[in-house]
Amino acid sequence: MSKNPPIPPIRVLTGNQALALGALRAGVQVATGYPGTPSTGALTSLLRMDLPGRHVEWSTNEKVAFEIAAGAAWAGQRALCTMKMSGLNVAADAIYSIAYSGVNGGLVIYVADDSGVSAGMCEQDSRLYAAMFDLPMLEPASVAETYKLVQVAFDLSEQTGSPVFVRLVTAIADAHAPVEVEEPAPPEQRKVILERDIAKYTKAGSVICINQHRDLIARLERAGQIIREMGLNELQLAPSAGMETRPTDKGGLGIVASGVAAAYLEEGFEILEKTPASTLRVVATHPFPAEEVRALLNHCDTILVLEELEPHLEKSIYVQAQRLGFEGRIIGKLDGTFSRSGEYGVEQVVRGVGEALGVKETRFFEKNQVSDVAEQLAAARPITVCAGCPHRGTFMALNQALKNLKLKRDEVMVTGDIGCTILGMNPPFHTVWTEVAMGASVSLAQGYVHSGIETPVIATIGDSTFFHGGIPGLVNAVQHQTPLTLIVMDNGWTSMTGMQVNPGTDEAFQQPGSHRVDLARLIPALGVEQFFLIDPFDLESSTETIQQCLTLPGVKVVLARQECAIQAQRRGLAAGKVQVIPEKCTLCKRCVIVTGCPAISLGEGTILIDPALCYGCGLCAQVCKLDAIEWEAVK
Amino acid sequence: MKYDIYLVGVGGQGVLTIGDLITGAAARQEIPVSFYPTRGMAQRGGAVKARLRLGREGGGPNIPERGADLVIAMERSEALKAVRFIKPGGDFLLFGHVWAPTAVMLGKADYPTLAQVRKQVQEAGGRMHYLAPENLPLYEGAPVAANIYVLGAALGHTPLGEMLDPSQVANLVQTRWKRGAERNRFAFQAGLDAFARN
Repeated sequence: MSKNPPIPPIRVLTGNQALALGALRAGVQVATGYPGTPSTGALTSLLRMDLPGRHVEWSTNEKVAFEIAAGAAWAGQRALCTMKMSGLNVAADAIYSIAYSGVNGGLVIYVADDSGVSAGMCEQDSRLYAAMFDLPMLEPASVAETYKLVQVAFDLSEQTGSPVFVRLVTAIADAHAPVEVEEPAPPEQRKVILERDIAKYTKAGSVICINQHRDLIARLERAGQIIREMGLNELQLAPSAGMETRPTDKGGLGIVASGVAAAYLEEGFEILEKTPASTLRVVATHPFPAEEVRALLNHCDTILVLEELEPHLEKSIYVQAQRLGFEGRIIGKLDGTFSRSGEYGVEQVVRGVGEALGVKETRFFEKNQVSDVAEQLAAARPITVCAGCPHRGTFMALNQALKNLKLKRDEVMVTGDIGCTILGMNPPFHTVWTEVAMGASVSLAQGYVHSGIETPVIATIGDSTFFHGGIPGLVNAVQHQTPLTLIVMDNGWTSMTGMQVNPGTDEAFQQPGSHRVDLARLIPALGVEQFFLIDPFDLESSTETIQQCLTLPGVKVVLARQECAIQAQRRGLAAGKVQVIPEKCTLCKRCVIVTGCPAISLGEGTILIDPALCYGCGLCAQVCKLDAIEWEAVK
Repeated sequence: MKYDIYLVGVGGQGVLTIGDLITGAAARQEIPVSFYPTRGMAQRGGAVKARLRLGREGGGPNIPERGADLVIAMERSEALKAVRFIKPGGDFLLFGHVWAPTAVMLGKADYPTLAQVRKQVQEAGGRMHYLAPENLPLYEGAPVAANIYVLGAALGHTPLGEMLDPSQVANLVQTRWKRGAERNRFAFQAGLDAFARN
């Protein structure tokens, strides 16, 4: 019996779930990915289902994930690979080469961009990658369209032999909307393709590479033809001169809108109380829909381009305009109307149409000064690690070790990395200085060392990030014997993205048959001779170990190990039991200042600890100088 | 009818559950709905916002500035971040819970007064409906879930109650959690009646 309940025909889904169910409907056989907001939900929803005969996994990083999916597609199966935009940078090397080779089974790469930056990392426009790789890219404008387009993407991939991108932005990936869902296709027992063809599967020789490049260009052209025949990019030419009567014969406004920006057209027309203009809704952003754009340029005298982030379509529209001798205006980013940063909404439709027609709709042009004042009055809410988070103990120990060595915090470089461990940058710790790319903490630190810095250099990283991209940096430090202290904070989970498993997660929580890769064995095996295991809930001993490392030569690695408290609490576990003795508490606030623990608040004459939040880590008890907090172990 | 709702609060208050329940109720009544939450980075204690759009077929998920018919704010300071979105004449429902950031707790940063929040909402043209956290009803001696209470208040005292059938929503609230169904029914009903009692 399958644990999956029958799927009701209309369900409220997120864009991520719609993508996952669309892939299932398309008969996906292998699905891989690495967690990253806002893309995580797609693979999470597949992993929650019981899918016999299919393989779904969180892989070590996006490059590994993509290569697994590509291997399956070469073997003739349908495969999906999911990642956030930063992950695409990691996978790019492999994607470029596999784009040249092409695929047999359908291969869909789902990438989620974060226009408006709701999570963190660069406001990257992955459409530019599609152009660079010469790969088709589909960009749904809604949750419901996502479900359909991912199926189109698999078909297109097999029709052309090309990997195909589906790109969502946060406003679709994380949005919930009703979707009409069909039954997923049963896993297809496709025959495995074992094709020995070095001209296709290797890059060994210039003739091979040149031929592959030609094939790649031809595949993209074929994709363009199919997309045109399907009418994916919907062109609607307004019968008359468009929205307004113009002095010229041809004329009117033509709007090119792509992805989520197209979803706001109707609302904009309603606000403006105008008849809709000629429109081109671009769903397939790559290859560029040149034919449809030329038809629009021939029909209209003003073009408005609505696309988030880079003026990607807009630049190609200028090229077509030049070729056709178009003399009208093109309104977008290149003329300064819109910004290359932030999400689009109905504001951009109204402002753009207003600009085109010389109509100014006050509501959208007036500066919203009242709201600026209101937002300035709001209290800043810097986030910190959760109550019971083991990283708290590591940051406290690190800060204390520096203090004991009479080192000032702004004289000691502590590089940071991606994930929950970056919260060490915030109050009350102010420990970590940098966060750029997965694993970069380890290598950046070496650059500081070679710059002649006199104070010790420290790198900090979480377990999943270390597996993902930190290991090569550590191998490099060992090879060159670069003096630094690396602190790997191992909480057993990929936590920031919502608790995914990683290679170091306890086997009990992994898929059946998985094997845990133990960092306590892996790190010494890399040639690290000075390796220390600490319990971040034991402040004194952790401080002592880190302090010792800062005075030793060579490569030192500290593995701070305690499970993520959120996950442990979900299983009903506690690290201990903490009790406040109100008679002893003088409200000196030392516990709040040093730990910043969200479970502690100030009460009448004493601090209070929220029992629902407290995990019993006991760090507050260890910093209290008045013995006003008692801690006991839980058996 | 098209109806846009902007929700704000702090992670852990159940803000997104309000959005989820409204979305579920709308979908059951076959009203087009879009729900777009933003959690930020934190598990708990970070700012949370969400946009709910009802009655709009195929529209985009973001609500424009001055576009929300209803703001539901679960925390006093976070309410200020929703002022930008209230439509002049729209309803601004504030549950005035204070979740003080550490710097405020330590006396190192300011926290807005209720009067300041009221003034900002008023200047933006919003109609303030205030629910005092000290009036959060008790059920068998313990305070009920504030988010369910606030959801009830939104249905009882704004046009949202005309769009969505309150008894349907009550039903959804009761079936959502097996444990505490009666407690949540009580919280929801207390919310529906909240302003009638004032």
